[in-house]
Amino acid sequence: MTSNGWLQIAVFFVLVLLAAKPMGLYMARVYERKKTWLDPVLVPVEKLLYKVTGVDSETEMRWTEYAVSMLVFSLATLLLTYAVERLQHAIPLWNPQHLAAVEPYLAWSTAGSFTTNTNWQAYVPETTMSYLTQMFGLATHNFWSAAVGMALAIAFIRGIARREARTLGNFWVDLTRGTLWVLVPMCLVYALALVSQGAIQNFKPYDTATLVEKQNVTTTGTDGKPVTTAVITQTIAQGPLASQEAIKMLGTNGGGFMNANSAHPFENPTPLTNLMEMFSIFVIPGGLCVTLGTMTGSKGHGWAVFAAMSILWFAGVATCYWAEAQPNPLLKGVDQTVTQTGPAAASSSGGNMEGKEVRFGIANSALFATVTTDASCGAVNSMHDSFMPLGGMVPLANIMMGEIIFGGVGAGMYGMLIFVVVSVFIAGLMVGRTPEYLGKKVEAYDVQLSMLYLLIFPLIILGFAALSVLLPAGLASISNKGPHGLTQILYAYTSAVGNNGSAFAGLNANTHWYLITQGIAMLGGRFLMIVPMLAVAGNLATKKISPPSVGTFPVNGTLFTVLLVGVILIVGALTFFPALSLGPVLEHLLLRAGSAF
Amino acid sequence: MSDIAFLAASIVFFVVAVLYVHGCRRLMKGGGDNA
Repeated sequence: MTSNGWLQIAVFFVLVLLAAKPMGLYMARVYERKKTWLDPVLVPVEKLLYKVTGVDSETEMRWTEYAVSMLVFSLATLLLTYAVERLQHAIPLWNPQHLAAVEPYLAWSTAGSFTTNTNWQAYVPETTMSYLTQMFGLATHNFWSAAVGMALAIAFIRGIARREARTLGNFWVDLTRGTLWVLVPMCLVYALALVSQGAIQNFKPYDTATLVEKQNVTTTGTDGKPVTTAVITQTIAQGPLASQEAIKMLGTNGGGFMNANSAHPFENPTPLTNLMEMFSIFVIPGGLCVTLGTMTGSKGHGWAVFAAMSILWFAGVATCYWAEAQPNPLLKGVDQTVTQTGPAAASSSGGNMEGKEVRFGIANSALFATVTTDASCGAVNSMHDSFMPLGGMVPLANIMMGEIIFGGVGAGMYGMLIFVVVSVFIAGLMVGRTPEYLGKKVEAYDVQLSMLYLLIFPLIILGFAALSVLLPAGLASISNKGPHGLTQILYAYTSAVGNNGSAFAGLNANTHWYLITQGIAMLGGRFLMIVPMLAVAGNLATKKISPPSVGTFPVNGTLFTVLLVGVILIVGALTFFPALSLGPVLEHLLLRAGSAF
Repeated sequence: MSDIAFLAASIVFFVVAVLYVHGCRRLMKGGGDNA
């Protein structure tokens, strides 16, 4: 680890901290329908949209109506994306490479993936998706799924803030305002900034470059014998990339325009864009903490939640950076000089550089991996499969904790608030009083539904992972045996259910088994968790607010932050520690003993 | 054929999700605090 690396990590966090307040106050104004400086431009657009769609923007919804509206919208957009993927070959628009229709299993899995903000990609985008599909099928979902997440978080905050109310707001209004006032303007500026750094934005057919030096590539022929081919040209993919990159990061979606995602020089051209991309993952979730404090009238509570998220973020990045800064012990004694003599020498230059971009180095790869899995982003600038076992465990554990460390836009906030409800309940049990959360009694129904939310998550992950390690269809896709293979499977389902979308790599997910089960896991991980969350919000909204007394547990101090962090760690550790111990922990111990997989 | 199967599967999932909303609401009425 270097002081330079730590300094860059510190700069990143200071930026997130500085942006939280203005961002949070702005979002509170947007969702409370107060005046903003963008109103002269956006209010007419908003009114037009309501007129065209027939939305009555003044009607408020109960939690059940809010949930059903969200489900109807998600189903409609899922089917739309599926249709675009299946018909891309027949639409004579923005398909200069004449790419064929996406195969049904892959199209369905991908449509589910983008609807749920997961953006798991079991395909190579450059050779699978036309520009039209990328823009109209996928990038639109990046906006919609992010705006849905934000709307749901705001609905939960209203549930806490309102007293004796039956409604949580209007889903269509929250969806529209989040998109128009927050995501679109920020993405416009962001995409231009990316272009200024070298990200591409065009509709050209792919370029072909002649290689300076001929490459000999050996593959296995149809007769099983090796075939060597001389490669003298390289295809360079093009496309409307910058506009998709902006919302991919800001909406914590993570689905790359290119297969290499944020390790690709067109997606992430410079160290400055790397910082921008990491910052843009946290900027809305960090701001939502301030929005929480503002809308509930307890600013201290918002900052206490921000502090809990920050502690968990720091623990993750410190562990990951430490693990990746260690050289692989199996390379001890190997020539440490970086030469062109082989991968072993190149891998051990001052730490574990395998799978990392030399442009970004170890600190920025560890930070990116931590941030992208703290949130539900899933973009990658390095390959997590190549991390050291404990380094790779950090992204996995981050997702397993429910991606509440800043988290996905909106999804992180409502996930964290469920943990807050459970923490308040536990605090109440410890002191023997009825637990209260900002003056509202937390009672049986709230805890039952919160536990349902928390239990669905591991149930789907561990259920599908267990099936996959038992069935030949599941085992056929892994590229490593032993604990590393288990981690590949575990990571795939954790990423899917957590709606993260980052891949551990090494697992071939483009098989019918994984496409179907991952599709179900993504849909379940999104919608089966949102419904009980909204039910808790709806129930909280109906309650009276009691004035604080000496027995009220404060939710705005250090004690609360420590309790919240403890509950998150204990729930995560108790649920997933057995699986982690058989995966990355065992691999770490065996690596120290001289075994690799 | 696959297209119809996936269309049907998607609709079935979301219908189940709507029933799930109904189930959570019923639970609220049964044991909710302010039903």
